[in-house]
Amino acid sequence: MITADRLTKTYGDRTAVDGISFTVQPGRVTGFLGPNGAGKSTTMRMVLGLDRPTSGSVTVGGRRYADSPAPLREVGALLEARSVHPGRSARDHLRWLAASNAIPAGRVDEVLELVGLTAVAGQRAGRFSLGMGQRLGIAAALLGDPPVVVLDEPVNGLDPEGIRWVRTLARQLAAEGRTVFVSSHLMSEMALTADHLVVIGRGRVLADCSTAEFTAAHAASHVRVRSPQPDQVATLLRRAGLDVAVHDGELRVQGRDAAAVGELVGRSGLLLHELTLVRSSLEDAFMTLTADSVEYAGASR
Amino acid sequence: MTAVATPARTRPGFGATLRAEWIKFWTVRSTPWSLGAMLVLGAGLTTLVCALSADALAREDLGEPVGAFVTWGIVFAQVTAVVLGALVVTGEYGTGMVRATLTATPRRGAVLAAKAVVLASTLFVAGTLTALAGWLGGNWFLDRAGVGLALTDDGVLRALFGSGLYMAGLGLFAAAVGLLVRHTAAALSIVLGLVFVVGNLVMVLPGAWGEWTTKLMPGNAGSRIATPESFNPLLLGPWVGFAVFAAEVAAVLAVAAVTFTRRDA
Repeated sequence: MITADRLTKTYGDRTAVDGISFTVQPGRVTGFLGPNGAGKSTTMRMVLGLDRPTSGSVTVGGRRYADSPAPLREVGALLEARSVHPGRSARDHLRWLAASNAIPAGRVDEVLELVGLTAVAGQRAGRFSLGMGQRLGIAAALLGDPPVVVLDEPVNGLDPEGIRWVRTLARQLAAEGRTVFVSSHLMSEMALTADHLVVIGRGRVLADCSTAEFTAAHAASHVRVRSPQPDQVATLLRRAGLDVAVHDGELRVQGRDAAAVGELVGRSGLLLHELTLVRSSLEDAFMTLTADSVEYAGASR
Repeated sequence: MTAVATPARTRPGFGATLRAEWIKFWTVRSTPWSLGAMLVLGAGLTTLVCALSADALAREDLGEPVGAFVTWGIVFAQVTAVVLGALVVTGEYGTGMVRATLTATPRRGAVLAAKAVVLASTLFVAGTLTALAGWLGGNWFLDRAGVGLALTDDGVLRALFGSGLYMAGLGLFAAAVGLLVRHTAAALSIVLGLVFVVGNLVMVLPGAWGEWTTKLMPGNAGSRIATPESFNPLLLGPWVGFAVFAAEVAAVLAVAAVTFTRRDA
């Protein structure tokens, strides 16, 4: 379990993380979502003891990360920025990591196998593609078989197959009872991976709820109706108790699904040209929610 | 669920940190390259200069002490110790690997101590072997001209081990500067500039002021231990000089250690 309590980090007069509090529970994937510059990576670095909080605290399993005697066996982390020496082979990178936490050397080949890097384990990491680098980072995170896994932007640079692999892995780790904390700036990806969401913008928590709740609250849907007799159709639907809005020639109907709307109109004998269920995407919901907190919003700054 | 909540079986101590640093040190190519260059420059140049000046030394044409020649190449070989010392630290900052290091071992003092032990012990051995090889090669020519120095001669054995000590100190100095500036080129410029440029420039300062700054500059104070006799009679004695050098290195290292433990990675 990860617990942040009024966690704050300022750089000079810029506040990167502004008193955020949240809890990451074991047994589920918690998505940490926010636009670039929202403070995700800074928060991740404070979780891992790399940066010192200006105020507040964050603990993993009840204690500060830096107080852990063998942190790799308690928290596995994939950091966003590459943290591998390009001149060292993948196997050697994992070997020294294992040695530092007294993890048996045999575990190195196990995690290489797990992430599918066995064949290239002897190659220098600098020759790896972005995707292979991410796999190596994930291998390092799993090296100590930790109960808590922190992945900062794990799907960056991965091909679709790799993205699905990470998604499956994260869900599997959570199913094993681990605490899984995954950051991303991609709402659509998080909707598929995470059970729970912590959304931040400009260093503040904007939402902390289950993915389903977030979807229900923020992703509205309506039925789009086109008809050569829009006024009659609108009157008909309103009389049936539905909410109808008119947008240049099309009707946006809320309150019933497409089938129900179609039947109502059909029975009345009015003409229909289009009947479509329109779901505003989670991406839209996320954009709306974080619109005020985007660091570099076009030319507005 | 079997894999979850495994308690720390054995608490990894300083030995684990040391093993990790040892593996890191020997799994990048800069280490064998630097040490190879040290041997080639140190032993090779000593042998070469002894071969070229043996006859002149025998005729006493040069008016220079023979003892200053048997570890002559160390002056150039010291560059490799500076490079290696700086890279051990700045290589981590340049590649972002320092984040992996500090997530694996959050006790930063232990990380720094382990790095220092690995670097200093390796440089001590490499510096001593380089000086020994140079003496073996150079002395072969000096012996033939009748001016060779035996290991038992005054200061020879001390200079061989002293070369190792000086290399170790120089490596630590570069590592400490690297920790402060976190940038390879900057660290190299500062340390090489201090040792090669500033150390020689201060000799032109007038009077006692110039004499003492010359004596106390790290490269001047520390290098005297690496040679049986010096070209420069102004320098401090071998052990006094090395003590001054060691104190300077310790001071920079202490500042670097405090910075390292407090700054964000």
